[in-house]
Amino acid sequence: MDAVERANADRQKRWAKDQKIGEGTYAVVYRGREIATGRKVAIKKIKVGQFKDGLDMSAIREVKYLRELKHQNVIELLDVFSSKKNLNLVLEFLETDLELVIRDRSLVFLPADIKSWMAMTFRGLEFCHRNFILHRDLKPNNLLIAANGQLKLADFGLAREFSDPGYKMTCQVITRWYRPPELLFGCRYYSTAVDIWSVGCIFAELMLRTPYLPGESDMDQLRTTFRALGTPTEEDWPGHTKLPDYVPVGQFPKTPLRELFSAATPECLNLLTRCLTYEPRRRISAKEGLYHPYFSTHPYPTHPSKLPKPAAKMGSSLPLEELDGNTEPIGNGPGVKANPPNKLKRKLSSDDVNGSSRSIARRLDFTQHRPTAQ
Amino acid sequence: MSTSLYPLASLPQIEKTPSREDGIPDGLEEELRAYGCKLIHEAGILLKQNQVAVATAQILFQRFWFVTSMKQFGIGDIGMGALYLASKLEECPIRIRDLINIYDLLLQRKAHIRAQAMASRLASTSAHPRTEFKYTPMSYFGNTFYELKDALVVAEMQILKRLGFNLTVVLPYNTLVNYLRVLGLTSREDVCTKAWGYLNDALQTPVYALYSVPTIVCAAILLTTRHLGIGLPSAPENCWWELFDAEWEDLWNVCGYIMRLYRERTSEDHTRVMGMVAKKGVRQWLEEHRPAGGEGH
Ligand SMILES: Nc1ncnc2c1ncn2[C@@H]1O[C@H](COP(=O)(O)OP(=O)(O)OP(=O)(O)O)[C@@H](O)[C@H]1O
Ligand SMILES: [Mg+2]
Repeated sequence: MDAVERANADRQKRWAKDQKIGEGTYAVVYRGREIATGRKVAIKKIKVGQFKDGLDMSAIREVKYLRELKHQNVIELLDVFSSKKNLNLVLEFLETDLELVIRDRSLVFLPADIKSWMAMTFRGLEFCHRNFILHRDLKPNNLLIAANGQLKLADFGLAREFSDPGYKMTCQVITRWYRPPELLFGCRYYSTAVDIWSVGCIFAELMLRTPYLPGESDMDQLRTTFRALGTPTEEDWPGHTKLPDYVPVGQFPKTPLRELFSAATPECLNLLTRCLTYEPRRRISAKEGLYHPYFSTHPYPTHPSKLPKPAAKMGSSLPLEELDGNTEPIGNGPGVKANPPNKLKRKLSSDDVNGSSRSIARRLDFTQHRPTAQ
Repeated sequence: MSTSLYPLASLPQIEKTPSREDGIPDGLEEELRAYGCKLIHEAGILLKQNQVAVATAQILFQRFWFVTSMKQFGIGDIGMGALYLASKLEECPIRIRDLINIYDLLLQRKAHIRAQAMASRLASTSAHPRTEFKYTPMSYFGNTFYELKDALVVAEMQILKRLGFNLTVVLPYNTLVNYLRVLGLTSREDVCTKAWGYLNDALQTPVYALYSVPTIVCAAILLTTRHLGIGLPSAPENCWWELFDAEWEDLWNVCGYIMRLYRERTSEDHTRVMGMVAKKGVRQWLEEHRPAGGEGH
């Protein structure tokens, strides 16, 4: 055992791996803790199949970018170690995600709550973009929420550096419902604007409580988008008909967003419009977004600790191992209709065995009055 | 932050690399590093791989030998692993099969050249008949393929692990363009080409794991302007490289690394290095050159 092996073994000893809490495409996630402090963590074990082609590209990206990014609104990578043939990422433990919050029909969102989630999303994203990193897979399911209400960008498996502007990139990124039209048209030279479009879709979803542009195929995604926002003209988006995969998908009129988002303030609608602008270069940047009047006008964003979140399931006494078998992979991407409200894929993780998280979780109903943070 | 925090080797790592610790002399290690990088480069060309990925692979490869001994891993396997990993990092993945085939071809070719050289050395007086190199493609189901594939997967993981998962690599090309602009040399095409060439050649040396990009770029400009006889302000108090925060001593060291690449090599030097692509060859060499005093490991 040389110095590197020893250092790795020492790092590994700092963390204890407990029960399995979830499974993604390229990783199995376990609950874990830091032995010295008892701090709760998530340990993401990357599967390295013997017959597979080495390490998954997403895993490599995730390690690379999370190592570089440290920000309150980006999930924190606490450590990395390898065990024989596996790679283990130690991540801060996060209770829930925005998708589950949106789908929980028992929760009521105030405009100030939506503003708070949006502000945290913009802050995390501005930090990524400032560091020349594109996320490329923003969707409610990848915006995780900590026990204290802080929202964190997670899942950097599709992230990419963009320091080189003329670099051709793959357009096969971003879950379909959150994918901007330039990618659907096969554009290979794109930038931060792709993430902003996704943020716009998330913004709309927070208000509607259902996905805003749920296309059923790539083609249908364009149709759905144009039906909602009007077919772009050459003036709206110069040159888009010259993009590699351009296809005409029909003429749809522009209906003012105000009609669908009737309760939204003018600032709110303006920011939404600026995120869902067809011409990528005219789309708002994350930095401009932070200074948008929406964030500085009344009502002010809710304090993260006061944001609504799904209540922990009461009286769940099943041992987690037994629950494991029941964790169905619930699709959250294209082709899958909105999840039934209580098939909560993160439920297991928010069910704290010690019950310590229960005191923070609160169920809200329509009658309850919640003061907004000043 | 992401663009400036790339790791450099620490002083103790430089003073005594793991390979040197294992008894591999300085010069030999340098040769093996350069040879491993050359293989990466050649494989990259045959695979039509993007230059950015190839350069990234070479830098990861160079870093690796500051934390690992060549007695423990072979330069062939690690080079292959570095190219594979870098291709994923730079989003231009290559098929594992293609990479393995290309490395196999390269190594067979080198082995052939080596055998020829050894044979002609033995029969130095009589003209030795040259045989044509004939590549025997391996079978996908044969052992070689699986052995190489296994070695590749292990190498990829080892690189990640031993570099502490720090994969940030900064390439020097943009910096070169900017510096030439500042120095008013952009219009000199010969300067651009030559400096670019030095930067590429430097990828065969450990300098990217030792010095900052500005220092390396300055060294390439220094070599270029000296070679082409272009005068730049170099008097104390007013040196052009100070504009870019580079130190003379560092520049000079980088130039030394690059210049050593162009040193004349005997055919024995060549064949010796070719025989040490796998760690087996390195171990054998170490056996044969065990210090008489017995202070080896
Ligand atoms: N930091 C974390 N804290 C708590 N639970 C987590 C954390 N990260 C992941 N999980 C749990 O593990 C599950 C799998 O996560 P992972 O990121 O591997 O995949 P995914 O995002 O669900 O799917 P995909 O790989 O398709 O993107 C998540 O759904 C979640 O329940
Ligand atoms: Mg995910």
